[in-house]
Amino acid sequence: MLPPYGEIMVLTRPAVGLLYNPATPDVIEHAPDLVEYFAVMPDRLWFDFGTQAATDRRFHRTLGAMAEVRRHAKGRMLAGHGLGLSLPSAMPLDEAFVEAITTMSADLGGFLWYSEHLSLFVTPKGSVPNAQAGLGLPVTYDDEAFEIISTKLARLKQALGCRLLLENTSFFTPVPDMDMSEPAFLNRLYVEGYCGTLLDLHNLYVSGRNGGTPPETYLEELDPDAVEEIHLAGGDDFAGFYMDSHSGLTPPEVWRLAFDHVPRFRRLRAITFEFQETYYDRLRPEGLAAELARMHELAACCHVDQKVAYAG
Amino acid sequence: MLVEFQQALADLTASPELCIQARRDPSVLHERYKLTEREWHRLVGIVRHPGMACACIIYRANRLAPLAMNIPKTCRALGKELRAVVSEYWAVFPEGNVHFFIETDRFCRFLKEKLAEGGSFPDEVASELEREAAIVADALRESETELLRYGALQIRPSNFALGEHDGRSWPSRTSASSS
Repeated sequence: MLPPYGEIMVLTRPAVGLLYNPATPDVIEHAPDLVEYFAVMPDRLWFDFGTQAATDRRFHRTLGAMAEVRRHAKGRMLAGHGLGLSLPSAMPLDEAFVEAITTMSADLGGFLWYSEHLSLFVTPKGSVPNAQAGLGLPVTYDDEAFEIISTKLARLKQALGCRLLLENTSFFTPVPDMDMSEPAFLNRLYVEGYCGTLLDLHNLYVSGRNGGTPPETYLEELDPDAVEEIHLAGGDDFAGFYMDSHSGLTPPEVWRLAFDHVPRFRRLRAITFEFQETYYDRLRPEGLAAELARMHELAACCHVDQKVAYAG
Repeated sequence: MLVEFQQALADLTASPELCIQARRDPSVLHERYKLTEREWHRLVGIVRHPGMACACIIYRANRLAPLAMNIPKTCRALGKELRAVVSEYWAVFPEGNVHFFIETDRFCRFLKEKLAEGGSFPDEVASELEREAAIVADALRESETELLRYGALQIRPSNFALGEHDGRSWPSRTSASSS
């Protein structure tokens, strides 16, 4: 029998699961034993009215969706995965947003870990807290960015009380002449105790396909002990570029990267597949179950060292 | 200044016109933003990178997403005029709102003003806009799921449930290069 909701499953291999979306309950119904874990995006479980809220309440949670999440989280590991904090933005941390995440985590029994993105989503001179840049913009990796991000991570860790991870994202326009590379930046955050890395292998593939750093070069530089979660996903071609659209299954090249490198990650907690629910009719539950089964094969190749896995 | 650099990067991504201008005459970036020489060089490198065109396309696709999801018939009715209208809208409102109903409601109001000013649009735009704008306004009100409207401690029941894939039951996020 699965452990009750909220209890930590101690695994000697990474857990396998999904980034939660409205189609996830259907996948779980189709293949309940293959989904051991899922991550929820708080940004997708509330409506953020920003400063335009008619009342003093900025965040309105989707209560029906929250109840569904609670039901499906029973016996599964649960993490949070955010988009809206925009940690690299040269502006103060959105404290109301942090408070809302903290409240949601408590409502759901506590996130085992919380991840955010290493890219800029909120414009620093925006007039409202949720003024969006329109897409994730690249970060300039230098001491100034490190100071901004690490200070916010320390505050977020204090508020949430759980392990934090930062995810590499895909870019079409690399920033020239940086003081350090992205893997060096992530290594430093890990070594100095601010967070671990959520390594999105599909994002590496996207950046490599679009003229960025080759994934192998990136992976050679990244400290394998920093990696605590990996993301898998699929995309498609558009206008001469390859997109991280989450429209398909994991491409063979990404699977190859995964089987070549993931067994080295001895602190890996989870292997997560991401898909956009608008493509669910195309992906089909059978296709996703097969993807999850292959993720379990990958997980079986890994061995989590319990002495180091939950340190820090 | 990092604040200026980040804002410049966001502005460039939102404006193909500014990208063209900056490619032609990079000094425009110094005129508009307080940048160090190194930041300026970085921006010039970014704006000249072939991927900048793709970033601009994704920006527009992501900003179009809430409109395409919530007022699809109005978008279809606008036809060839859609491109010009949304470009003007994004110039007036350069900050997208993460709340898709707020974003769409704002666009509906903008388009209504254009119609009231006598803007020339296909005949069916007004009727489709009227109908879909009303639905969006209702959805926006409904998205205040935790208003204490019915008594001191009663939370308003939610109409939002999982399993509906129409993009309106959940707060949506566009995914391209966002996660």
